[in-house]
Amino acid sequence: MTTALRTSIPAAPRPRRRSGRPRLTAFDAIARALIAIILVAQVYPLAWLFLTSVRTESDFASGDPFALPSSFTLDNYVRAFQQNNLGLNILNSLVVTMGANLLIVLLGMMGAYALQVLGFRFSRLVRGIFMIGIIVPVQIALVPLFINYSRVGLLDTYQSMIIPLAGFALPMSIYLFSSFFEYIPLELYEAASLDGAGPYRIFGQITLPLSVNTIVTVVLVNSIFIWNDFIFANTFVLSDGLKTIPLGLQNYIAAMGKIDWTATFAAVCVTITPLLLVFLVLNRAISYGLSAGATKG
Amino acid sequence: MTKNWTLAVATAALAALTLAGCSGGGPTGDSGNIDPTGDIKPRQISWLLSRNSADPVVTTMQGIADEYAKAHPGFSLKLVTTPDRPSYIQKYETLAAANKLPELFDTDATPFAQNLAKQGRIIDEEKLLKDLGIYDSFRPNALDYQRFDDGSLYMIPLEYQAEYFWYNKALFEKAGISVPESLDDFPAMCTALTKAGVTPIAIDGADGWPLERYVSYQPFRVAGPDYIKQLKTGKSSLTEPAGQAMTNWLSDLGSAGCFQKGFSSKGYSDAQNLFTSGGAAVYNIGTWELSSLATTKLDASVRDDVDFFTLPMTDGSPTAANDFVVTSGIGVAVNSSTFDPLVKDFLKFALSKYYSTYAQSGALSPTKDVTTTIPADATPLYQKAIDSANSAGSDLVMPWDTQLDPTSNTTVQQDQVLLVQGDMSPDDFTKTVDDVITQNAPKYFK
Amino acid sequence: MLPRRSRLSVLVFLVPPLALYAVAVLFPILQSLVLSFFSWDGITDLQFVGLSNYAHMLTGDPVFWRAFLNTLGYLVVCLVLQLGGALLVSALLLTLRRGREVIKTLYLLPAVISTVAIAFLFQRIYSFDPQGLINQLLSWVGLGELARPWLSDVNTVLVAVSAPEGWRFSGLYMLIIYAALLAVPQELEEAARIDGASRWVIFWRIRFPYIRPVWVTTTIMAATYALRGFDIPYLLTNGGPGQASELLTTYMYKTAFTSTNYGYASTMSVFIVVECLVAVGLILLLLRRKADA
Repeated sequence: MTTALRTSIPAAPRPRRRSGRPRLTAFDAIARALIAIILVAQVYPLAWLFLTSVRTESDFASGDPFALPSSFTLDNYVRAFQQNNLGLNILNSLVVTMGANLLIVLLGMMGAYALQVLGFRFSRLVRGIFMIGIIVPVQIALVPLFINYSRVGLLDTYQSMIIPLAGFALPMSIYLFSSFFEYIPLELYEAASLDGAGPYRIFGQITLPLSVNTIVTVVLVNSIFIWNDFIFANTFVLSDGLKTIPLGLQNYIAAMGKIDWTATFAAVCVTITPLLLVFLVLNRAISYGLSAGATKG
Repeated sequence: MTKNWTLAVATAALAALTLAGCSGGGPTGDSGNIDPTGDIKPRQISWLLSRNSADPVVTTMQGIADEYAKAHPGFSLKLVTTPDRPSYIQKYETLAAANKLPELFDTDATPFAQNLAKQGRIIDEEKLLKDLGIYDSFRPNALDYQRFDDGSLYMIPLEYQAEYFWYNKALFEKAGISVPESLDDFPAMCTALTKAGVTPIAIDGADGWPLERYVSYQPFRVAGPDYIKQLKTGKSSLTEPAGQAMTNWLSDLGSAGCFQKGFSSKGYSDAQNLFTSGGAAVYNIGTWELSSLATTKLDASVRDDVDFFTLPMTDGSPTAANDFVVTSGIGVAVNSSTFDPLVKDFLKFALSKYYSTYAQSGALSPTKDVTTTIPADATPLYQKAIDSANSAGSDLVMPWDTQLDPTSNTTVQQDQVLLVQGDMSPDDFTKTVDDVITQNAPKYFK
Repeated sequence: MLPRRSRLSVLVFLVPPLALYAVAVLFPILQSLVLSFFSWDGITDLQFVGLSNYAHMLTGDPVFWRAFLNTLGYLVVCLVLQLGGALLVSALLLTLRRGREVIKTLYLLPAVISTVAIAFLFQRIYSFDPQGLINQLLSWVGLGELARPWLSDVNTVLVAVSAPEGWRFSGLYMLIIYAALLAVPQELEEAARIDGASRWVIFWRIRFPYIRPVWVTTTIMAATYALRGFDIPYLLTNGGPGQASELLTTYMYKTAFTSTNYGYASTMSVFIVVECLVAVGLILLLLRRKADA
C-alpha cells in the first residue's frame, strides 16, 4: 500500500495564487454560492445547539427551530451541572485522552524508528502486521477484552479504556511517523554515528526533536477520536466516577427515557468547548500534518 | 523467523483457548444462607441502580443510609446510577458475566435473574424478609410481581405503581366520544379523535417498553395472566386466539392512526409534553408521574380536563375489571457472595424505616400498613389514583419485557413498531416472533 | 539503516509497541476466532458448538443478512457524503482567492463533537412533531408534503442514520484531498488550458488522475471507518424501526451485551473483519487497476 501511494507531491502544500483574471465569472459566483450553502449545512446545527442551550424549556417545546430564542436563560447550564458531575466527566476524558496520546506518540515513534530507521530483516512483515490494525474494526476487541479485563481485574479502570484506544490508533501513528522519518536525511544519522552516537542517543537527540510537528498532528487527530470515544467507555466503564464525557451525556437520559433537552444541550455545549478551543488554536497544525501525512504516504 | 512467527501464533491461539476455556462455569453461591456469622464491620457497600438520582426511592434510601452511617462510622452506601434502562440491563448483565456484581443491584424478575438465582448468586428474599419479620406486611401483588415463574422470590420491592390511561375529557367531548369500555373500542375511539383533529394517543415509541405494554393487554384480557408464561417458553404460540387478538388489534390501532406520527423516534418527554400541552387525548403511564399529572405543576389549561381510566375489558375475559397493570417496579437483589453481617444489618435497619418514609413522599408503598401522604399541591385526581391502585385485583398484567428472553424481547420491541406502522402484516409478526422464541427460549428456560 | 544498531536496540524499540498492539488488537482477534466456535452466555459453562454459529449466521438468521445489506447502504451514503463532499468542497475552495483557511476550519468543526451529542442533535433535526429543522426547511421551500418522521419511516431511516456520520467526517477527508489538489503541478493545467480544455476536462483529465493515489488512501480510510460505524445508529434508533437501520456492528453489540450470546457475537465480529479485508482488497483492485490502465 505504501509504495502505491508514493507520489512526487512536494512536502509542504502552500496555497498559491492563481494566475491573472481578477474578474468574477459566473462559474466563480456559482462556486461561492455552493460553498456558502454547504458551510451553512455544516455550521448551522452547531449554532442551533448553542442557541437551544440558552432557551427556556417552554420556548424549546413550542419550538420553531429556526427562530432566535425569544428569551435568554442560563438556567439550563445550572441544571446541567446539578444533574450530573460534568466537571468529573471532563477530567476523566482528559486523563484518558492524555494517557492514550502518550502511548500513541511514544510507542508510535519507537515502532516507526525500529521499522524505518533501524531496520531489520523482517521489518516488512512486522509493518504488514501493524497495518492490519488500520482496517480491523474495533468491535472485534470488545468481547475478548471484556473477558480478559474481568479476569485480571482491569474492568472499570482508566487503563481499560486507554489500552484499546491506544492499541487501535497505534498503526496509524506508526504509519505517519514512518512517512515522516523517511524525510530525515540519512546524512544526519551518519554524521551523528561518526560522533559516536548510538541508536538511543540518535533517537533522543535527532529524531525526537525533529518530529515535533508530526507529534502535534498525531496528538490532535487522535484526540478528536479519543475525546469522543463512546464504545470502549460504554463497554468497560461501570462506575460513575470514571465516566467520560460521552457517558456523562448519556446520563441525561433518565429512567424510562425521559430527557431534559435544554439542559442536555447545555451540557453538550460545555463538553465540546475544551476540544473546540484547542482545535481552533491549533487548527493549522492539524490540517498541515494531516494533509502532509496522507499525501506523502 | 517465519517459523518463529508461526510458533508465536500457535502459542497465542493456545493461550486464547485456555483463557476462554477457564472462563466458563461461573461461580456458585448459597442463596439460602441468610445468617452470615461474624461481627458487623462497617465498610462501603454499593448499590447498582436503574433509577433517577432524584427518584424518591433513591433519596429516601440515601437519607436512611446517612442515618445508619452515623451509628456505624465507616459505613457508606455508594449509589451507581444508570437511569437509562437498556444501558442498565446491559451493564448489569456484563457485570454478572465478569462476576463483579456489587452488594445490591436492581433487577426485574427476568430469565437472566432467574439463572443467577439458580446458581445461588443472589439471596432468597422470601427467607430473608421472613427472617426480618416484614414478609407479611407486603401487599401480595407487590411480592408476586417480583416472583419468578416457580413462585420463588429473590428481589425486594421498593415501589408500588399502577398504570392508567390518562385522558383529556375536553378532547373526548370535542370528538363526541366516551371512555372505551372494551379494548376493542380503541380503533373507533382513535378514528373519532383523528376526525376531530386530535392526536389520539401520545406514546414514547423510542423506548420499546411503552408500546410493549399495548402488546401485553389483549393477551391478558383474552387468555389471562398465564398466557405469557406459556408463550415465552415456547409452550404456546402467537397463533393462539390471544396472540391473534393482539396482532390484529395492534395493526388496527396503527391503521386507525392511534399514535402520533413518527412515534417510533419520539422519546418519553416528547410524548408527555404532547399530552400535557393538550395535543393528544390519551396517555398510558404509571403513578410515578402523579406529580406531573395530578398536581398544580400540570399546565393550568388542561389541569381540570385530565382524568384516567383503567385497562378496559374485552368480551368474555377471564380476568376481572380491577385486574390492571400494577407493578412493584424494578426490585433489588442482594448478592450472596458479599452478604455479610453488615449488609444484613443495614438491610434490617433500612427496610424497617424505608416504607413509611417513602410513603410520606406521596408515593405508594409496596407494604399494606402505611398510607400515602397526599402532597399539598395535589389535585383531587391524586387521591383518586391512589385509591384506585389500592383496589387493584390479584391477577397481574406482567410487562412482557420482564418476561421474554432478551433476544425475543429485542425482536418484539423492534417489530411491534413495524406492525403498528403497517410495515409488517400480523401474520409476518406472528411468524417472526414465534420463530425467535422457538430458537431462543430453550437455551434460556432450561 | 543505522550503521551502529544492535539486535538489542531493535528489540528495545520494537517490543513495547508490539506488546501493546498484541494485547489490544492481535490477541483479541485470536480470541474472537476461538470464541466463535463456542456458545456462551457469560454465566453458565462454555459449550463447543463447532461451526454451528457460522451455519446459523449464514443460513438461519435473516436479521444478519438484513444488517449486512444495511451496512452496505450505510457505507454507500458515508462514502458519497464524505468523499463526494470532500472532493466538491476542495475543488470549489481552489476557485477562491481568500478565506480558504476560515472555510476549512468551519467545515472541519463537526468532527470535534461527540457522537452522543450528534445523536441528540439529529434526533431533533429529523423530528416531525415538534417540527424539526429538515421538515421546517421543506415546508419553507414549498415541499411540505415531503415532510415525514425521517427516523420512523422504514424507507428513509437508513439514509437518515448514515448522513450524520458522513456529515461529521467530511471535513477531515476534505483537508487531505485539498492538499493533494494543491500539489498538482500548475504547468500541466496551464498547458491544457492553452489547448482550450474546459474546467471540467481539466479537473477530470488532469487534476483527478494526479491525485488518484491519495484518493485510494482516502477511500480506504473512509470505507473502513464506515464499515465499523456504530455509535450514531446505535444511539439514534438502536437499529429500528424493525431492523431498518440495524448494522452488523449494532447487531453484534446487542447479541453480545443484550442477549449475552458471546459466542455468536464473536462469529459476527470475525465476519466484520473479513468484510473489511475484502472491502480494502476490492478498493485496491478497482482503483489501482484503473490507475494502471
